[in-house]
Amino acid sequence: MPHDDLRSFLDVLDAAGQLLRISDEVAPEPDLGAAANAVARLGENAPALYFDNVTGFTDARIALNVHGSWANHALALDLPADTAVKEQVAEFIRRWETFPVPPERRADPGWARNTRTGGEVDVFEVLPLFRLNDGDGGFYIDKAVVVSRDPDEPDNFDKQNVGVYRIEVKGRAKLGLQPVPMHDIALHLRKAEENGADLPVAIAVGNDPIISIVGGTPLAYDQSEYEMAGALRGAPAPIATAPLTGFDVPWGAEVVLEGVIEGRRREIEGPFGEFTGHYSGGRNMTVVRVDRISFRDRPVFESLYLGMPWTEIDYLIGPATCVPIYQQLKADFPEVRAVNAMYTHGLLAVIATGKRYGGFAKAVGMRALTIPHGLGYCKVIIVVDEDVDPFNLPQVMWALSTKVNPAGDVLNLPNLSVLELDPGSQPPGISNKLIIDATTPVEPDARGHYSQPVTDLPEAAAWIDRLRRLLAARAG
Amino acid sequence: MSCPRCDHDTTATLAESPVPGVWQVLQCQRCLYTWRTTEPARRTQRDAYPAEFRMTQADIDNAPEVPSIPPLRRSGGAG
Repeated sequence: MPHDDLRSFLDVLDAAGQLLRISDEVAPEPDLGAAANAVARLGENAPALYFDNVTGFTDARIALNVHGSWANHALALDLPADTAVKEQVAEFIRRWETFPVPPERRADPGWARNTRTGGEVDVFEVLPLFRLNDGDGGFYIDKAVVVSRDPDEPDNFDKQNVGVYRIEVKGRAKLGLQPVPMHDIALHLRKAEENGADLPVAIAVGNDPIISIVGGTPLAYDQSEYEMAGALRGAPAPIATAPLTGFDVPWGAEVVLEGVIEGRRREIEGPFGEFTGHYSGGRNMTVVRVDRISFRDRPVFESLYLGMPWTEIDYLIGPATCVPIYQQLKADFPEVRAVNAMYTHGLLAVIATGKRYGGFAKAVGMRALTIPHGLGYCKVIIVVDEDVDPFNLPQVMWALSTKVNPAGDVLNLPNLSVLELDPGSQPPGISNKLIIDATTPVEPDARGHYSQPVTDLPEAAAWIDRLRRLLAARAG
Repeated sequence: MSCPRCDHDTTATLAESPVPGVWQVLQCQRCLYTWRTTEPARRTQRDAYPAEFRMTQADIDNAPEVPSIPPLRRSGGAG
């Protein structure tokens, strides 16, 4: 059954043994960040963490690492906790095919029960904020979805954007928000600022687990995240109308902040330890004025630790990055079999493809650079044959070690766009990009000696079954 | 108390602990560094603050604009 809010999903995690409730008193710093950092080091079945006894707070409830393991990601998709990664991606692809699923508008959202407006607005009153990493410039809201609309088409539901962007709390009613230029909110902001206007935003904190996944999924500009959430849930996504902006926000959110990105204003922000495993540096970033806060009784603050991969964010956006790249490539090139873009939000991607003719794999690699997400990511592309599983890194390494002759298989393309958070970019936002063609050359590309591959023996499949039976019998 | 990060001497209090007297959240009024008074010394004391995260007025002045502010559209349409 799909999960309608964060609370019900925490119960599901609890029932599955995937939520660790920590009732001992902990310090807000460094304990909360350190615990969330540590849980990411426990491996692929790590639990979510829940804290409700934090020094100095009287009413804090904090959830961390909610998506931070393959087990939790599977449960978010309503799959068995032991579902293999490749199968989770395959199921993601199957559900994606059912897009769009229109949302369901529900009345009486829990967050409408409590309100602060104008001078009463104090983000610190509602959210138990804390620092994650040593060099962070302040306390961040880093797992909320930000809803904005195209200023030129404010009634266009499909162009309403729902995205996760980092948010620094800079005052009781002031936030700093990072619109990465390649992301949809930056297109909205640009139009507003060209008109000399503010950009209204609604920020939903603490959401059902599918909303967090679609908020980090690079959809096309006119694809609705709510309609994709419906596809991934297998049921319409519940939404409600935010009272100040009139925007559509998740019905189940714990807290909704509404206000505006103040047009044509920038102010020092950061640094922040980012998903790249590096700090962003301090930048002059947009400023949000919060005019209204709506919140549920006893709200739960959901946050996410990020640092040197893998941490929660890599699970959260791993499959969510693979699938749109796969779908967009496949639309042009049906030969594409699979995409593994789970590395740093797709800064590196491995693509398995069939080949029409010599040079085809390089064309697929170049296409990946020019899909919307590729404009800001896809810095290193490895293209492998269709019989190589891109999720099986030993197989990928075999392809790299045997199918590549750098004389003709390495394309180094100068001065392309990349998100400026890429620490290797110089100047920030500009980088060479690399395509490694690790496929077997086909006609008329006659390079190398690939006519005699060693393939599994025809009888091997039957022997695999036989050996498994023998091992099982021995174990029994 | 000066800012651990930029050594500026003016701070504002953003928040006080709901349990009275346990901590405050302070903010530098120049570089906007924000910290809780109960955090470790490496985040709260100038002499212990790591060199790689220190900030100067020049750093603030020269920080890149993200995203850059676009030119205003010209008002009025073509005849």
